[in-house]
Amino acid sequence: MTQRTGVDRREFLAMAAAAKGAFVMGFWLPPRPASAQQRDGAVWYEDPEAPEINAWIVIDPDDTVTIRIAQTELGQGVWTSNAMMVSEELQCDWSRVRPEYASANRDAREMAPEWTLEVMGDGAQDPTGGGEPSFGNRAPTGVFGIPDSLYRRMRTNAAASVKDGRYYLQLAGAEARERLLLAAANEWDVPVRELSARDSIVTHAPSGRTTTYGAIAHLAAVTPHPNPEAITIKPPSEWTLMGTEQKNLDVPMKVTGETVYAIDVSLPGMKWAAVKTCPVYGGDVAAYDFEAIRDLPGVQSAVQLPIPDPALTRGRIFSGGVAVVADTWYEAKTALDRMPINWTVPPENAGFNTDNMRQALLDSLDARGTVRVDEGDVDAGFAAAAQIVEATYSTPYLPRARMEPGNATVLVTDERVDIWIGDQSPQETRFSASQITGIPEQQVHLHMCHLGGGFGRNGNGPQAEQAITIANANRGTPIHMLWTREEDFIGTTYRAMGMARLKAGLDEDGWPLALEVRIAMQDDGFGPTASFGGASRYHAPHYRFSNHETDFHVPVGTRRGVSQAAHEFYRETFIDELARAAGRDPYLYRRELIARTDIPYKDDMIRALDMAAEMSGWGTPLPAGTARAIGLEERGAETGRSATISAMVHTVSISPDGRVRLERVDVAHETGFGLVNPLSVRKQIEGQITWFYNDAMHQACTIANGRIVENNFDTFSLSRIDEDPPEINIRFFETDHWLIGMGHDRATSVQSGIGDAIFQITGKRFRDLPFSQHDLSWG
Amino acid sequence: MAFDLEVNGVRHSVDADPQTPLLWIIRDRIGLSGTKFSCGIGSCGACTVHIDGQAVRSCSVAAEAAAGRAITTIEGVSSDGSHPVQLAFKELDAPQCGYCQSGMIMTALALLNAIPEPTDADIDAWVTNACRCSTYYRVRQAIHLAADLMRAER
Repeated sequence: MTQRTGVDRREFLAMAAAAKGAFVMGFWLPPRPASAQQRDGAVWYEDPEAPEINAWIVIDPDDTVTIRIAQTELGQGVWTSNAMMVSEELQCDWSRVRPEYASANRDAREMAPEWTLEVMGDGAQDPTGGGEPSFGNRAPTGVFGIPDSLYRRMRTNAAASVKDGRYYLQLAGAEARERLLLAAANEWDVPVRELSARDSIVTHAPSGRTTTYGAIAHLAAVTPHPNPEAITIKPPSEWTLMGTEQKNLDVPMKVTGETVYAIDVSLPGMKWAAVKTCPVYGGDVAAYDFEAIRDLPGVQSAVQLPIPDPALTRGRIFSGGVAVVADTWYEAKTALDRMPINWTVPPENAGFNTDNMRQALLDSLDARGTVRVDEGDVDAGFAAAAQIVEATYSTPYLPRARMEPGNATVLVTDERVDIWIGDQSPQETRFSASQITGIPEQQVHLHMCHLGGGFGRNGNGPQAEQAITIANANRGTPIHMLWTREEDFIGTTYRAMGMARLKAGLDEDGWPLALEVRIAMQDDGFGPTASFGGASRYHAPHYRFSNHETDFHVPVGTRRGVSQAAHEFYRETFIDELARAAGRDPYLYRRELIARTDIPYKDDMIRALDMAAEMSGWGTPLPAGTARAIGLEERGAETGRSATISAMVHTVSISPDGRVRLERVDVAHETGFGLVNPLSVRKQIEGQITWFYNDAMHQACTIANGRIVENNFDTFSLSRIDEDPPEINIRFFETDHWLIGMGHDRATSVQSGIGDAIFQITGKRFRDLPFSQHDLSWG
Repeated sequence: MAFDLEVNGVRHSVDADPQTPLLWIIRDRIGLSGTKFSCGIGSCGACTVHIDGQAVRSCSVAAEAAAGRAITTIEGVSSDGSHPVQLAFKELDAPQCGYCQSGMIMTALALLNAIPEPTDADIDAWVTNACRCSTYYRVRQAIHLAADLMRAER
């Protein structure tokens, strides 16, 4: 079995033909001459020597099983977990499974098989625990996935790859298995019910005959299933592969440097492009002087980049700029740095800075806002209270800051577009390519690469649109556009800067009578109702929750944790403050307030708190300068259909001179109907502990004269191994509802946990993140 | 201007501005793409290679400064992922997105060559590479495991 770096071999061949013998350095090369596979009239994905059973599954004669992955591997383990879901039903030999990316081009040409469309969608009542794909209306931009295209949802977002794909990925494996069995039954002329399949071997027990998937795949490929709608998927109780810890299939090539990320793509004749866009969003090029750099080494040309069409960037306004094209990227970048550029900047955008934006958010908190929940009579509750507690919190603009800077390689000819890219939203990029070049989507080919970090659909920044624009101006020449780190901070979207004012009226025993939550954020910020919508997670007889929106110029979008990360910082910190005001233990205070609600899955929330507290030795003595804090993490419970619930206890030490160390994290996390790959879940939790540690301690992007100030890792700090918690304990507990996903909003409680530990140790309560801006010394 | 560089034991004649950062000579001229670009200012360590056994950030070293010295990249650690450090990173399933891992492994290897049985404090002091996925928890365990594997080989 040949390990490959990702590109689909058949798609590769089609690309090679289009580029007249071009090759991609570092990519797997076919063992047979390409000419032998280029048959006149054959569509690219039909390879007689490696029969395709269905659009997800190809089986080679040597029993190698190729599984098409429609999501993008960005470190979250989807390359492995999606393959596990298919393999569970296919009952193939897992050691011979090889993932490859599903074709976004084919997705533009073919409709989904009907048997994938009718999936269960019956909430927690679904006995199979299958996923519930959440498709919006069919949108040509592909923003929400395309409900009836071949691979349907090709985006990678919202920690939803397992939940959204599970039902039809399991079905794809089951459909193929049934057809392999039918093919063997036909071949042996025996009833199919007498056959069984395991580890890619088909056995006819009565006669003792066996065959392999590889031997009958070519027959199965032409054996239709008579009634595919009748195929069902295995419930969790029957899983044998799903639910086991499997090492990730992409890892071996990541320790040798062989993995080809988009930045590593190299084509014959390829030129590199460096880009500079106006650092104030909405700004554009007034003039630039290419003549000043024309004679520098390697320089070829310059391409002016208009402000990307907002219709292709979900309405977000980025900036116009200039690209310099040269033989190498370093030559392009060096020349661009020396090229005079004058900008036209909208004065209202240049007038923004962090201070006046903060004031605008504070002002909006005083307005009535959009009331989302108004239960009981909050004002009467406050009037009857024995004690009022009120606090105002803030969280800054935050970028994703993935390690691989934005880049893409694009070849535009008059007939087709080829794009090599790491992309969380290929259907959307396909649409953009078609809009910019005028070439139909059916002639747009995306060659997907593993991403050097994702953390929020990077398709919503203009990396693809800029690269396509440059290549469209250089038709026939492959153009590899690469952002500098500084440019990556301009081309990304941000989690919206936010503020919150929480107010509670407590009765004489310290329990909330009334709770009011006001959230202020940019008006197109994502998830304004997260963590507070529907109903309060902590009981208050009178509850009001409102959003307060303000118009700023920074393009905001999905970033790991989305708004929930900020909102859980507000909520959990405030609950800690209330517990302190009530003179009660923060763990038991939470527990009681959840018990008093009638929110769905409240028992699971209590189990999470109990388990995390027990794991941590809650209440046992700690050395001076060390404290424990607990937090609840919950998404979506108010719907009663699905949720993700965890609780964590953070043990934090602070030296007298103010040096914070997260010493230990105890994690209680639910399984839902079942985790597909618990090893990946562990890795995701470990990673998110540090992610939110950085949000808590270090990271902020401020605005000055409309510009993002912190734009590289010298000023935008990433914690290193010396700050990482030396001890992380993770335990899972079983629950019986759908898990929404756990790749982006776990460990948010690191923020409130460190904050409350600071309070316990130093006596100081800080409500503005990150904490490193405050004096944390004590003693 | 042409100059010679020895990378992974192979001598390359390079015709480029000798002030070009070593990173870009390795990637674009010599064609070894395992060494990554991320910050360009010597902060994150994704571009870490060895020069005469010392871990350096190749984005911030002029290529000519490495002339006449032995440069090792991730491709020179082993051809098949069989080096104990690579085996340990695989055993712990340490990489997530993997983009920083070439540099991380080169730093870990320099540490283990200097201090065969590093303490946690040694790891904290030496491993200053950034990982956005945060694989630190597993990287720390992998370095300890690699030390064990390398001791067994001695």
